[in-house]
Amino acid sequence: MIATIKFEWRKLRFRPAFFVSAGLIAALVALVYFVSWYQALHPGTSERGLVNILTLYPAQFVNQVIGAGAIGGAIAIVLGAIYAGSEFSWGTLKTMFTQRPGRLTVWAGRVLVFSLWMAIMAGVLLVAGAAMSVVVALFQGAAISWPAAVDIAKGFGALWLIFVAEGAIGLGLGVVIRQSAAALGAGLIYLLAVEIIAVRFIDSINNGAYQWIGNLFVGQNAGALTQSFTSPAFGRSVAPAISAEHAVLVLAAYGVGLVIVAAGLLRLRDVT
Amino acid sequence: MDNSDTTIVETHGLTKRYGSRVLAVDSIDMSVRRGEVYGFLGPNGAGKTTTLRMLVGLIRPNAGTATVAGQAPGSPAGLARIGSLIESPGYYPYLSGRENLRVIADLAGVDSKRVEEVLDMVELASRAGRKFGTYSTGMKQRLGVAGALLKDPELLILDEPTNGLDPQGMAEMRKLIKDIGQGDRTVLLSSHLLGEVEQICDRVGVISNGKLVTQSTVQELLGEEGVLVRAQPIEQAQDVLTRMFGADAISRKDGAIHLKTKPENSVEINRQLVGAGIGVSELRPFERSLEEVFFQLTGEKQGS
Repeated sequence: MIATIKFEWRKLRFRPAFFVSAGLIAALVALVYFVSWYQALHPGTSERGLVNILTLYPAQFVNQVIGAGAIGGAIAIVLGAIYAGSEFSWGTLKTMFTQRPGRLTVWAGRVLVFSLWMAIMAGVLLVAGAAMSVVVALFQGAAISWPAAVDIAKGFGALWLIFVAEGAIGLGLGVVIRQSAAALGAGLIYLLAVEIIAVRFIDSINNGAYQWIGNLFVGQNAGALTQSFTSPAFGRSVAPAISAEHAVLVLAAYGVGLVIVAAGLLRLRDVT
Repeated sequence: MDNSDTTIVETHGLTKRYGSRVLAVDSIDMSVRRGEVYGFLGPNGAGKTTTLRMLVGLIRPNAGTATVAGQAPGSPAGLARIGSLIESPGYYPYLSGRENLRVIADLAGVDSKRVEEVLDMVELASRAGRKFGTYSTGMKQRLGVAGALLKDPELLILDEPTNGLDPQGMAEMRKLIKDIGQGDRTVLLSSHLLGEVEQICDRVGVISNGKLVTQSTVQELLGEEGVLVRAQPIEQAQDVLTRMFGADAISRKDGAIHLKTKPENSVEINRQLVGAGIGVSELRPFERSLEEVFFQLTGEKQGS
């Protein structure tokens, strides 16, 4: 297993997608902060654009950046799809499977390193948010105070879980489809269209009698988990329909379940 | 009988079927002896790659058994003793040749010092810093062979390693395989290039339409040595030669007499025929080419 992890990490750290994804997510956080900062300083008449400047200070940076979890989740699907699918496209799967370790050991090492990659992504998101919040506070002359360490840890854990669960969709699709382009396309279409339409339809049946089914979809739970990170400064009054605990369980089940299904396929299928 | 001391690859009734219609490999009984260079010969689509993929555990047979390096195909203990290059080399395009071998060495549990050794063996050390994606076909094939050699394997399985190479590259690759095959290492080489197999291999197995149609040494496959005679009148010549070598040693084909005898007897044959007043227009050693044998065995049409 150590050999497999070493192998996966060594090739991942040279991979352009590794740096591009980290840079992209940091740039997205910076963009969100700059736009929100502008909106806070130039409030229009529409309620939609109202931003409380307090939400941009360091004390709220975890609650602020966790909103980027949805975008991060979409990026995680893309990364999972290319991470799993490109091994088929490059023909490297046969190279991996004809070395010493067994197929499941190779897959376990891959999943562990992918989880580490997602942890790095969550870390980059938080660090970028913290840095931007300091910039805003310094320019606004506000005092710098940080959230409690436990809240930062919870935020990190939530982001990591969302990335792993949604990344597992990409991983699973990469293994099922056996190439990256179609896998990432299918993953994004599912997350951005299919799931939304399906949940709306299910919620509308029989006056919402089957809403509990809608509450089992991955995007719904990722959204609920991010919404659980809030404070009065954000002015949200409607409680999410799904509890944070429920969301954590469902997301973990998606992550584990998809990884196991992909492992089964890799173990049983021929490498042609 | 336990053949594990002398045989490194042994299959019995190995079969691979795709769906109900495609029988890719049909009950193959194959044996590769330790230390030999074994040529696995067959036309495109005959089932060579499918068989090799089964031997390294990439695909599972529908029926039959195989033992490779004393283990079941695909088992970690067996894979540790096998190096393979199946079809095209599968490496990471964004990594250099050297870095590709290092990551594979990590996975295979091989000391990274071995990377430089195999790069030297395939004469790629000076260009190993370039990204794999920028390599020519020949360089990719060389790196593929280097990757297969990383584990210093007892058995090296090479699937059409000269595919896509120019004539010079093919000659270099053949020399490399010959060098690798010297000593105790066994090489199982698949190819559809007859000259390649004839030059490199000790024994060959010929596969056609998924069936192993023959398995023997190259010499056995080519048949006994002989002498070809063209003479006039041919009937009289045949009588003389029958008296010399017996009827079983003689056959007629395309207006010539084929004699099963050593080429050293040509001088005596000429003396006897001329002495009997027979005009000899052609007298030369005769050997069937592997190409002739191959077309005869596979039922393929020559020149088609």
